Amino acid sequence: MLTYIKLAWRNIWRNKRRTLITASAIVFAVLAAVFMQSMNRGSHEMILDNMVRFSTGYVQLQDYRYDDESSLDNSFFFDGSVKDRVMEADPNIDMVLPRIETFMLAANDAATRGSILLGIDPEKEHRFNELRNRLTEGRFFEKDESSVMLAKGLAERLQLSVGDTLVLMGRGRFGMTASGLYEIVGLVEFPLRDLNNQVVLIPLPEAQFLLSADDYITSLLIAPGHERHTESIARTLNETFADDELVAYTWAELLPELLELFEFDLAVPKLLTVVLYIVIGFGFFGTILTMTMERLREFGVLLSVGMKRGKLALVVFLETLFISLIGVLSGVVISWLIIFYFHRNPVELTGDAAQAVIDMGWDPVLPMSFAADQFYTQGFFVFAVAMIVFLFPLVKIVTLNILEAARS
Amino acid sequence: MALVRTEKLSKVYNPDTVPVHALRDVSITIEPGEFTSIVGPSGSGKTTLLNMIGGLDKPSSGKVFINGTDLTGMKDSKLIDFRLQNIGFVFQHYNLIPVFTARENVSFIMLLQKRDKKEMLRRADELLESVGLGDRKDARPKEMSGGQQQRVAVARALASEPKFILADEPTANLDSTAAMNLLDIMLRMNKEQNVTFVFSTHDQRVIDRARRVITMVDGAVDSDERRDGTNESGDSTGKGNSTGTGTSTGTGTGNGNGNAQKS
Ligand SMILES: Nc1ncnc2c1ncn2[C@@H]1O[C@H](COP(=O)(O)OP(=O)(O)O)[C@@H](O)[C@H]1O
Ligand SMILES: [Mg+2]
Repeated sequence: MLTYIKLAWRNIWRNKRRTLITASAIVFAVLAAVFMQSMNRGSHEMILDNMVRFSTGYVQLQDYRYDDESSLDNSFFFDGSVKDRVMEADPNIDMVLPRIETFMLAANDAATRGSILLGIDPEKEHRFNELRNRLTEGRFFEKDESSVMLAKGLAERLQLSVGDTLVLMGRGRFGMTASGLYEIVGLVEFPLRDLNNQVVLIPLPEAQFLLSADDYITSLLIAPGHERHTESIARTLNETFADDELVAYTWAELLPELLELFEFDLAVPKLLTVVLYIVIGFGFFGTILTMTMERLREFGVLLSVGMKRGKLALVVFLETLFISLIGVLSGVVISWLIIFYFHRNPVELTGDAAQAVIDMGWDPVLPMSFAADQFYTQGFFVFAVAMIVFLFPLVKIVTLNILEAARS
Repeated sequence: MALVRTEKLSKVYNPDTVPVHALRDVSITIEPGEFTSIVGPSGSGKTTLLNMIGGLDKPSSGKVFINGTDLTGMKDSKLIDFRLQNIGFVFQHYNLIPVFTARENVSFIMLLQKRDKKEMLRRADELLESVGLGDRKDARPKEMSGGQQQRVAVARALASEPKFILADEPTANLDSTAAMNLLDIMLRMNKEQNVTFVFSTHDQRVIDRARRVITMVDGAVDSDERRDGTNESGDSTGKGNSTGTGTSTGTGTGNGNGNAQKS
């Protein structure tokens, strides 16, 4: 075997320039493909990360009816003992965040807007998503206060600012009227546009009081010690609370449309990648084709003196493999280094693009995904291309007529 | 038992379009230890005959026996193995693997035979020394002269310990010194180790030193002459007229002389 490897390795360097050009083309394809994906997925990951941290949590415990009808009537009882049961169910749970969420009308003396009232535990929330750092004006409220913080977009729409009074009107649990006047103590900027334009934050006890829902919450967000425990935690919780009419969902289950949208968003880069690989495939094919055709006579001699066709095919297979490996490995290493750099030092956006991103509530940087599978999928792709390309010399070797080869 | 026996061997190329009768009823026998040259003008069927004997091509009719084994019905993969174990080949050119050194080229054939690695290298060195290339073992074909390359090819052919060696115009691309040098080596192998050689040529000086000369004309054996052991020295008696006209390698003259001699 060693001899065949040696033979193949030396063969690919018979025409150094050709091999290098072919390998470089593969390097280029891998780079381009990884870059395209990384940029797309980078923004997806950022959106998802924000969604998970500010909206859904990694795992969420709800009443089993809440998914169909997100109303306060489908909230569930939550006190210290329920919390203990949750924490004990799975040692991988780091902490839990109770939330109560409902639709309310938010008004100043002139205008009214629909809003999402979000009752939270401010300390825990900050630990989970660093909410306090999102404060743009005023101060962060305490758990036992009866004041509110407004999302920045909503405040602008209502032309309210810190120190003003907000009117909240709506329905509490079981149709009870709910209304109140609250002082706005702070403005918070959310990195998700929908939240930023709608959310009114209020301490959980105050929200429960306002909504006539003492000890009731609509959702319990679960923070795992590590992201990879998401699925298993949801599974144990579903087992533990099967008889309590509670269900646990993972963020992926809660955001199916978003994930679909991302898939769709990746369709174009994926198509481009395929096209790119087809182009590279033809270049690769050209190299292998010439490598094969100019050596037919040599193949003839080898078969004459007693080398089996299978062995000869093996050598040419190794040659194809080596060229593609050189291309893929260098491509992966180079793109890994570049993306690692940009992952650490994101490209700062400027001008209109930056403003547009800031308006969405995001940092004005170009996020790049560093997900591992981006790299090995490329390896797989190139390997597949190499296999297809290898078909030509394979067929040629199997059908080669020794004498015709010697004459060519 | 004869080493090689052909039985009414015929080959017709393009039988359906423009038939070419490359071989017509060739029946020859070669015994172990022979040093036989196949001569004849270009197109007379020398290569075709050697290819049939070497199992590289199938006859249109007739049979080829090597040590009693009939090659004609053998499957391709079996033939490849049969060639590997029984026949050594030296071609006119492109004999060697360009990326391998002389030593690697010679041991490669033994690798195909799955021999012991140490023994392989030892034997490769020994063979290269015996063809006078002891100091060129690590040279690649590109770095060697045509004559040196052909000597490596002979060493490779010997490496597999074949029953006989087939060489199709091994000296055709060499200058006369290199050609004679190669022939000397072949003759010495033949004498000292009793290696059987069957080779084609149209070089008169090569013909002169063969111990048996089979002359082909138009695909048929025209004459078969044995001059056992008389002409290792090269300039043998009774060959005066052929060497006189044939210092050049012109086939026409060379064969004309050969025929004239027989009659
Ligand atoms: N593959 C082939 N197809 C058609 N004709 C061939 C083929 N090989 C050899 N021939 C013809 O057969 C004849 C004998 O050829 P060859 O054996 O090569 O002669 P030599 O080696 O004596 O020069 C020539 O007329 C040649 O043109
Ligand atoms: Mg010929």
